[in-house]
Amino acid sequence: MTVIDLITRVDAICKKYEKYDIDKQKDANVTGDDAFARLYGVFESEIDAAIQKSEAAATEKNRATAVAMNAEIRRTKARLYEELPKLQRLALKKVKGLSKEEIEARNDLVSSLKDRIEAIPDGSTVAAKQTAGGGGWATSTSYTGIKFDSTSDGRFESEYFQQTEESDRFRQEYEMRRMKQDEGLEVIAEGLDTLKNMAHDLNEELDRQVPLMDEIDEKVDRAATDLKSTNVRLKDTVNQLRSSRNFCFDIILLCIILGIAAYLYNVLK
Amino acid sequence: MSSSDPNKLISKADKLTKLSLTRWSADWKSATLLYEQAANAFRVAKDYEKAKLAFEKASTGQEMLSSPWDAAKHMENAAGLAKELRNWTEVIDFYRKASELYMQCDRPQPASDALAKGARAVEDTKPDDAIQLYTDACVILEDDGKEQMAFDLYRAAASVYVKLEKYTDAAAFLLRLGLAADKCNARNSQCKAYLSAIIVYLYAHDLKQAEKCYNDCYQIDAFLSSDQNRCASKLLAAYTEGDVEEIKRVAQSSTISNLDNVIIKLARKLPTGDVSASKEEEPLDLDENDLT
Repeated sequence: MTVIDLITRVDAICKKYEKYDIDKQKDANVTGDDAFARLYGVFESEIDAAIQKSEAAATEKNRATAVAMNAEIRRTKARLYEELPKLQRLALKKVKGLSKEEIEARNDLVSSLKDRIEAIPDGSTVAAKQTAGGGGWATSTSYTGIKFDSTSDGRFESEYFQQTEESDRFRQEYEMRRMKQDEGLEVIAEGLDTLKNMAHDLNEELDRQVPLMDEIDEKVDRAATDLKSTNVRLKDTVNQLRSSRNFCFDIILLCIILGIAAYLYNVLK
Repeated sequence: MSSSDPNKLISKADKLTKLSLTRWSADWKSATLLYEQAANAFRVAKDYEKAKLAFEKASTGQEMLSSPWDAAKHMENAAGLAKELRNWTEVIDFYRKASELYMQCDRPQPASDALAKGARAVEDTKPDDAIQLYTDACVILEDDGKEQMAFDLYRAAASVYVKLEKYTDAAAFLLRLGLAADKCNARNSQCKAYLSAIIVYLYAHDLKQAEKCYNDCYQIDAFLSSDQNRCASKLLAAYTEGDVEEIKRVAQSSTISNLDNVIIKLARKLPTGDVSASKEEEPLDLDENDLT
């Protein structure tokens, strides 16, 4: 390991465990009855923890854990907001051993604390940008068309943009075309919805028919085997009937009968 | 031989089956044959009453010959003729008997089909009996494990309930449909069933039930990631805000147009009653001195 690595590691470790040092110092300075200072200390530590968590969430690759972390941060923020009025009340109370300026300073501290809580990134700002690009899911309740990069259009209103007649006309045409495109996309979206529904229904219908087809398959197989065995038996029977031995027997018997008939004829003549 | 008067055939067959001093056991085989011929002849002659009787007797004959399949088929024919005669109680009885005979043959599919036909026949005139028949048919199919066939029956039963204006029962049936669809992994039908149930509750102006229903369905993964879920949440949000325009707009959306016809009609008629009344929940005032 190089020296630089060592130094960075030591710095990181010191930073990580710095809070214990400061806490010890704070505890040594703070007297037992100063409720405001105690609460303020708690607030500070919670804000620090939340900021650390938000940093971890920003670098987290797994979306689910990032979302869970952001939810945690939001919950912490909400809790802190709720406890803020309590802190404010404590700040106004007079504590022995503190001058008037310190009390005023405490008020300022409380208000700055509010800003600090708000500043903790909880992933909602990032999410808002993403959803605006995709055309609002749960966030946008108004019935607007599909938006692509709609945020960039607003920049035309700034004072750096001088309007000439030509550019005005061009901009109007652009707006008209965009609206027409939106309408067209609406129509397509509706058609796709219908298609999707029909496809789903088709899917279910086919699923329904699969076991029926299996049954038919089985039954037909059984019938086919039955037919085959019957055919074989039939063949055997027919062969037996038409076998050459039986033929010979038939012919011999016929000859005997003819012989007897001829003999009788001779006798009777 | 079959061209003789069907009445004569019937009397001949009757004589064959009646036990008397000269006849110690009934000759069901030939009797059944005669009954069938007579019944067909009557049907052609459009004498439905006599044809129905003949089919009944033929069916009993087949039962005696222990072929329940043929007996059931004759029963169904008799029931069809009873329908022509508009004799609804007989229709129900015959179809039920046919279904029992099919079950004897160990064929649940035709059994439930028979019940379903009966239900469809008496839907308009005797809706309660129709619902009973539909329920029994669904039970038969579920016992056999073929829930997929039961979807149509559930939907039909729910629409009958809606016609009777029994909205809670209709919604309950739709939820049963959702359950059956869940067992067969038929996600689309499942989500459509849940959305339909929510709409039925909203039509009955039962916002609390609708929300409870929505919360229940929200727990289910298949519903959570579906179009129908989005539609339902939009609808409920519009209701809680009291925005009539929004409700109408959502009801016109394509997701709802893919549902059953009866449900679409209900959705188009939303909102029923006064929607702004649902905004009565004021946020509770925080007591400043209460530090908890």
